[in-house]
Amino acid sequence: MENKEAPLEDGEIKPMSVSMPDLDEWGNFGDDDIMQQQSAIQAEEAKKVPFIGDKEPLSSLEAEYQSGSPILLEKIKVLGEHYAAIRRTRGDGNCFFRSFMFSYLEHILEYQDQTEVDRIKAKVEKCSKTLQTLGYLEFTFEDFFALFLELLDCVIQGKETSISHEELVLRSRDQSESDYVVMFFRFVTSGEIQKRSEFFEPFIMGLSNTTVEQFCKSAVEPMGEESDHVHITALSDALGVPIRVVYLDRSSCDNGGVSVNHHDFIPVADDLPNASTCAETNTPYIRLLYRPGHYDILYPK
Amino acid sequence: MQASRARLFKEYKEVQREKAVDPDIQLVCDDSNIFKWTALIKGPSETPYEGGVFQLAFAVPEQYPLQPPQVRFLTKIFHPNVHFKTGEICLDILKNAWSPAWTLQSVCRAIIALMAHPEPDSPLNCDSGNLLRSGDVRGFQSMARMYTRLAAMPKKG
Repeated sequence: MENKEAPLEDGEIKPMSVSMPDLDEWGNFGDDDIMQQQSAIQAEEAKKVPFIGDKEPLSSLEAEYQSGSPILLEKIKVLGEHYAAIRRTRGDGNCFFRSFMFSYLEHILEYQDQTEVDRIKAKVEKCSKTLQTLGYLEFTFEDFFALFLELLDCVIQGKETSISHEELVLRSRDQSESDYVVMFFRFVTSGEIQKRSEFFEPFIMGLSNTTVEQFCKSAVEPMGEESDHVHITALSDALGVPIRVVYLDRSSCDNGGVSVNHHDFIPVADDLPNASTCAETNTPYIRLLYRPGHYDILYPK
Repeated sequence: MQASRARLFKEYKEVQREKAVDPDIQLVCDDSNIFKWTALIKGPSETPYEGGVFQLAFAVPEQYPLQPPQVRFLTKIFHPNVHFKTGEICLDILKNAWSPAWTLQSVCRAIIALMAHPEPDSPLNCDSGNLLRSGDVRGFQSMARMYTRLAAMPKKG
């Protein structure tokens, strides 16, 4: 931005102030430069790992730890009993949402589950209402909602707008589209947390010493803010999609044997569908691998 | 690019609606460039900025609203979180706490709130920050008021 002279910076005040255009070194090195540098570093990182990577056999994970902790290698072996492949995501603070996005859309594409599409659309509509009730202006979030709904329609085949699996990968790697969907999930998560603030408050108090609203403003809505169990619980509940998180860390079991823990986030049934669909939706088909600080997508055998 | 333009157009319409609701903020879009805006904001009452009208310049990036607008004071202001020479503002929502839930209008509101509640522990204007940190509220207020009179008020004929 050019440094326009302030209209009020006229002859009468000039003697008072230090001359405007003559900036010292610190004046030149402002926050904007720091932000530019940050995005340059991000761009550098981006070349290494795309937002959504290719599907790789689990052995590639093993290779990563070849010279590392034996506990981890043991655990990866155990992991291999149930899981066949991994798809890496970029570690930019959005990896949970990005993994969820791809994993969910890939599932719909694969199973062509129109019932699920209709179900989640109703949920998305509810989320939009929630945000409006909370005082969010519709135009601030509607574009993000619209893009998710569009992608949802695209993965159902047999239409002019339908996209293949390859195209889904490409679109998930496209910065603007991918980020818009991540932002959609952030809005949904924030709305759910604030809607049920009494439920989430104690968990948030445990993470940060802030109010529920401040937490959403500073740790949920901004891009690049990492996700925790609060985010996962809220997103799973808001959209009614169960999520399995498999934990891969150095912790070992007391009894000497090595096992890999997982936790299933099962959505609360606020609008109780009939029992059979309930049982069906309770088995998570979104499976994420968590290593401290990062989420990737797991594929079962 | 297209998305940011569409969003800004929605904000433009919202600004027209909000005019009566928020008389302390006058947000105007550049005639020929929807990515350039200016705002006139009233200094909040019971602060040294009371009675002053401050001009802000907005430069909106193409990645808006995923990325924040760049905002600067064009009117000189003595405030711990505003760079005295460049008018740059130190406010979390304009940096890492930005989210698309904010609008140009609500950014103006946040800046007015910052004027009323300076955060001297993260100063861009150290002289101003040091006055507050050392407890010299009177010194800070008189400096701030002087600059408000000099730069943000109409000159008496």
